[in-house]
Amino acid sequence: MLSGILRALLEADVTVHLRNGRALVLTFLLPLVLLYGLTAGKRRAQLGGPIVDVALALTLGIASIAILGYTATVARDRELGVFQRLRVTPAPTWTIMLSRLAVQIVSMLLMSVVVLVAAAVVENVTLDPAAYLLTLLAVIFSSAVFLGVGQALVGLIKSPDTVNAIGRLSYLPLFALGLFAHSTIFGTTFETVARWSPGGSVATLLAGAMQPTAWSVDTWWALLASVLYAVVFAGIGIRWFQWSTR
Amino acid sequence: MASKVTATGQTAAHGLALQVEDLHVSYGPKRAVDGVSLEISEGEIFGLLGPNGAGKTSTLSAIEGLLRPDSGSIRVGDVDAQVNPTAAKARMGVQLQSTSFQSNLTIREIVRLYAGLYGVPLTRTGIDELLAGVHLGEEASKRFSQLSGGQQKRVSLLIATIHSPPLVLLDEPTAGLDPQARRQLWDRIERLRDSGRSILLTTHSMEEAQAVCHRVAIIDNGKLVTVDTPAGLIENHKDDPRVRKVAHGQVTLEDVFIGLTGSDLRD
Repeated sequence: MLSGILRALLEADVTVHLRNGRALVLTFLLPLVLLYGLTAGKRRAQLGGPIVDVALALTLGIASIAILGYTATVARDRELGVFQRLRVTPAPTWTIMLSRLAVQIVSMLLMSVVVLVAAAVVENVTLDPAAYLLTLLAVIFSSAVFLGVGQALVGLIKSPDTVNAIGRLSYLPLFALGLFAHSTIFGTTFETVARWSPGGSVATLLAGAMQPTAWSVDTWWALLASVLYAVVFAGIGIRWFQWSTR
Repeated sequence: MASKVTATGQTAAHGLALQVEDLHVSYGPKRAVDGVSLEISEGEIFGLLGPNGAGKTSTLSAIEGLLRPDSGSIRVGDVDAQVNPTAAKARMGVQLQSTSFQSNLTIREIVRLYAGLYGVPLTRTGIDELLAGVHLGEEASKRFSQLSGGQQKRVSLLIATIHSPPLVLLDEPTAGLDPQARRQLWDRIERLRDSGRSILLTTHSMEEAQAVCHRVAIIDNGKLVTVDTPAGLIENHKDDPRVRKVAHGQVTLEDVFIGLTGSDLRD
């Protein structure tokens, strides 16, 4: 029974995701544009080099899907009453959320594969097979950070318009800080703040996963910080999440 | 001290599809449902009438598992809904007051989703046949938002009954429909009853209550005010001074309703 419920939910959520043009743009276009922009930029070396460029493109993709895509669909469906309709069926509430999160994580993994292929073509950044696997594992950890942030947003804010607005406002600093996690362009203090921000931790973790031989203490700390961010934000999001806006 | 009105004990000869005892639901300090008890027997259509904010939807929401009651018990058939909510939900079909489905799914996909959630195996042909049965065969590839109000209600009712539940809960099923669509929906509700299902519906329409309900309860301020057949309510209250005061000529069910719940506007 439970597998049938999950299958039905997954099938519906995948269909909805594939028909959502905005989600597809967020998933693939933005990280590829950033990757191309960083590659073509004159000061790319100051941001950390080709591996960091790819890590930043992945971070942008993950943040976009989670903070702009996931939050918008959850807030909209809650406002429309979609969740209330699902909750009067025998589907346990955790299956409703699990299905949605699974679709987001799979799209993040697909985005990562596309970005890594583009990186190989555009930046000549190729990795060992083990590094590719480790990177995809790091993408899953990173998705937990930004999906946690997204969950906290829809947990604390009811109105879909406000969720959209706050999502856009918080998305830029969350990600933009990550851009300078490996750069002293704005000084070492700014670099330290950037490095331990959610975006910075994720970028460091992803860059570390792409170079397992250069995995350092900083990468371990980035992993720990990512887990902490994920737990805290997801905890807030689950604690205060309401299935209905009424 | 006024005696407490309950809609129980009148149908003991039949099996019970739903049994609610001493239900209490609060929103913070506001008590929305205050000791409601009711029983619905198999094959019965039971109407819950009340002004806005009287506690109709809160009572239904507690039965549906959307609200956690402060106290009281709810049994769906022989299942305790608070102990085993999943089993209780599997025995219920629900049409919410305002329903929406995933906006990017077609009607066919929505039916497929809900069939899957209730474990009903349906092929594409089977889904199309079901949709044709409610005159929605042409709309199978449309989105829910592209349907008219009457068509949306038919989709909602089809989904509520897709697993042939013994109990169907309908929250204001004909609100906003034109007379033709309303009559068609009444026919469908009566066909559900004829197939042995029990129905609990809320409504503002006295005409609807009289047309389709075996018994009607009037609820106000979270409490059941009175329960009887529509004809019984008129007969028992036709000489009540509160009812006589608002009646224009022959006493109607609406006169009884206004007389017992007052003429003041609600929210």
